[in-house]
Amino acid sequence: MEERSELKRQVDAGSASNESDTQKGKYMTFKSGNEFFGLEIQYVNEIIQLQAITAIPETEDYIKGLINLRGKVIPVVDVRLRFKQEPFEYNDRTCIIVINIKSMMVGLIVEKIAEVVEIKEDNILPPPNVGRSDRIQNKYVYGIGKVGDTVKLLLDPDKLLNDEDLSVVEQANEMNIDEE
Amino acid sequence: MAEEFSTDGMLDMYLFENGQLLEQLQEMVLDQKDADCFDEDSINEIFRTMHTIKGSSGIMMFDEITAVAHKLEDIFYYLRESHPDNVPHLELVDHVLEVEDFISNEMEKIRNGDPVDGESGEIVATLDEFLNKIKGGGGSSKGGKKKGEAIPENKHEEPKQFYIAPVATSASRFYKIYVSFFPETEMANVHAYKVVYALKEIAEDLLYSPEDIISDPDTAETIIKDGFKILLQAQCTEEDIRKVVGVGYDIDKVDIIECKANEFLQGFDFGEHDDIPVMPTIDLDSSVEEIDARSKTADGDVPKEEKKPEKPAIAPGDFVIKSKEPGKQKKLAKDKPKTEKASFISVNVSKMDQLMELIGELVISESVVLQNSDLKVPGLNLDNFNKAAAQLSKISTDLQNVIMSMRMVPLANTFQKMNRIVFDVSRKLGKDIEFVMVGEQTEVDKNIIEHISDPLMHIVRNSVDHGIESKEERRDSGKPEKGKVILSAKTEAGKVWISVEDDGAGLDRDKILAKARRQGILDDTKPDSAYSDKEVYQFITLPGFSTNEVVTEYSGRGVGMDVVVQNIQAIGGALEIESKKGFGSIMSLKIPLTLAIIDGIVMEIGHSSFVMETGAIKEFVRVKEDMMIHEPNGDEYIMIRGECFPVLRLGQWYGLEEYKESVEEGVMLILEVEDKKVCLLVDKLIGEQEIVVKPIPSYIKKVKGLSGCTQLGDGSIALILDAPGLIE
Repeated sequence: MEERSELKRQVDAGSASNESDTQKGKYMTFKSGNEFFGLEIQYVNEIIQLQAITAIPETEDYIKGLINLRGKVIPVVDVRLRFKQEPFEYNDRTCIIVINIKSMMVGLIVEKIAEVVEIKEDNILPPPNVGRSDRIQNKYVYGIGKVGDTVKLLLDPDKLLNDEDLSVVEQANEMNIDEE
Repeated sequence: MAEEFSTDGMLDMYLFENGQLLEQLQEMVLDQKDADCFDEDSINEIFRTMHTIKGSSGIMMFDEITAVAHKLEDIFYYLRESHPDNVPHLELVDHVLEVEDFISNEMEKIRNGDPVDGESGEIVATLDEFLNKIKGGGGSSKGGKKKGEAIPENKHEEPKQFYIAPVATSASRFYKIYVSFFPETEMANVHAYKVVYALKEIAEDLLYSPEDIISDPDTAETIIKDGFKILLQAQCTEEDIRKVVGVGYDIDKVDIIECKANEFLQGFDFGEHDDIPVMPTIDLDSSVEEIDARSKTADGDVPKEEKKPEKPAIAPGDFVIKSKEPGKQKKLAKDKPKTEKASFISVNVSKMDQLMELIGELVISESVVLQNSDLKVPGLNLDNFNKAAAQLSKISTDLQNVIMSMRMVPLANTFQKMNRIVFDVSRKLGKDIEFVMVGEQTEVDKNIIEHISDPLMHIVRNSVDHGIESKEERRDSGKPEKGKVILSAKTEAGKVWISVEDDGAGLDRDKILAKARRQGILDDTKPDSAYSDKEVYQFITLPGFSTNEVVTEYSGRGVGMDVVVQNIQAIGGALEIESKKGFGSIMSLKIPLTLAIIDGIVMEIGHSSFVMETGAIKEFVRVKEDMMIHEPNGDEYIMIRGECFPVLRLGQWYGLEEYKESVEEGVMLILEVEDKKVCLLVDKLIGEQEIVVKPIPSYIKKVKGLSGCTQLGDGSIALILDAPGLIE
């Protein structure tokens, strides 16, 4: 419960823009592996088709390289590789979600875009701490949103991009600090 | 009131304009430092500059600046009116530069938001002394002091800035306007200024009393007590004036009396002789000159209207001059309209960058359109399309050129700074030096200019300090006593060459070698002769290496040249030294024109494109397998024309896919950076083109050997290889 109110505060503070009303509680969902993930829509700039990627040597495997977005050079990250899942073949359903975090633009390569859903705060649960500390992706997931019968793992884009290998406990602590 | 005058916009404008004025001032002063005296135009110009700075600083309430500017203005007022013969020119130049420094300093403080705490007292005192000195020559014994007091004389020039070109016609009407303020009004002088400012818009000619309202707060009292008097010549009715002046909360009443032209010319004959602090209690001897002075100015300023010597009337109250001797017309230059001001605007660099990015995008979308695969359908008649396309390409190329040229700034300002340094240093060291600038109009990217100013300063100082010998030494070695330093700039092969040439002693090869031996830099097994001149001279760029025995104020501590080289290398430049003992030396900076665009060779390895700066590539060679030398530990070398180079297989190094293994299929690039060479194996070369350098997004950690990325014509991204990084 504690975390949820924290989260609420975060959402309120984060969406102080004009569009806050329309964007509030909306999540861009996409499929990666067998799971559906959700990203708060305020971070999403646009969704583009997969395009030619220039690989950069000597970087982490999940950083696929650079793309040219209308003259802007932005790095792209393969979400599946980021989650340490098996790599997948890119096809014409593969999309790049361009997100903007702290005025840094990054593209996320995802298997399939699902839809934009609205998730009420009441339907967002904190990630279970018990028994799942071995699951690596937990640290990017700050909540679990229920939509009908399905669940979406809600991603913290900042954590997704920055390679911090925190334990879940530390992460929970840090979340609290972040949100204060 | 204060908040009205402290808005940021005004302050920015103030700093910007005055900064420019000071730069122009310095340039002009240094231009004429070797002359016997300033010519008439410069005297006027300096006078006007100081006047403007005084005025604006007064408005911005920077009193110390105002005071200093005012004092210098006094001196130049005296110079321009009295043409004294005995002015020690160099001393005057020093004073002007001193004032310029003081004001620049203060402005720097203002810019940084530091308290503006400079003390004008000392400078004002020296200037006073100087003024008295030059006046002393022609005046009575006590003249100096007295004139010192009479300095307000130049305030009579104050209204000048309000002379809208006197285009009086018969339709012009003349008014006397009395403005009275409520006694409780604070800073009535500023309120009065507001009125003047408003009237300026409609006035053909405008005088007011008291005059010194901007810089002298004491006038506030006078205005409250006696009212503010304005003489106005304008083509408007009383009604209009009332509208302009307005009656606000501060103005009690406004009396407007229309008068005849001749009355107008008589000035402020307001009949209140006792009201104004009687400045012009003139002792007859000294003031003839003053009166003359006024008349000259007046006539000079309104030459088209001989009938309007109204300016003498500026003297308030009891001091009225009827007319001038026409014979005394002076050839003082009329205030030239400062047209150049209007032709420049300052633009935020980020906007320029944005524009540049947009144009880059435009060029790429253009190529996407023009090379669109839809056009490749056979049988299409594309004649008209091609014509239109050619036109479009031309325009976009022009656009690119324009935006690049917008970032280019002439080196002139930087060179001027050097001029100043040569002047200062040579004066302090007692050397007589002729400073010649060549090619100061050469244009360089703004970012680069910022980086070369300091290194250049070091080099110029070095040249003056230990390049040029003392007068005695020069005489002994049969050289002219006057040393010569040439600062030149030219563009060549996409690089800018800036060289500092002096005809001094030159570098002493033996001395440098001896010192290098002492410091253990040299290989003890090699004789001195094994080192080329070029190598030897490079030693002076090493940290802590100075052959100057005596540490002077300016150089000799052995810091400097190494910093110079570092700074130059940081922007992709290089320093070359040539010297001949006894005949002088030349230090040349070789600098890229711009940081944003480089000439590059595009190449391909596997599926990836890379770009290498053309300058770093020494040559391309095709090699045979039998030229390779394989070491057991995996290192590879190659023998080319008897020279052995380490080999770097880029594909292997970066773990790329499907690159060519065989050296015979690929191309070898020989890279050279600072005499270190390495061979780079790539699959094939695509071509040479201009590359717009973009940074690799910060999200990606720095990769060794990559310095940025760029967009190729087809919209794909290529990585830019960094030769020094690869060689490491």
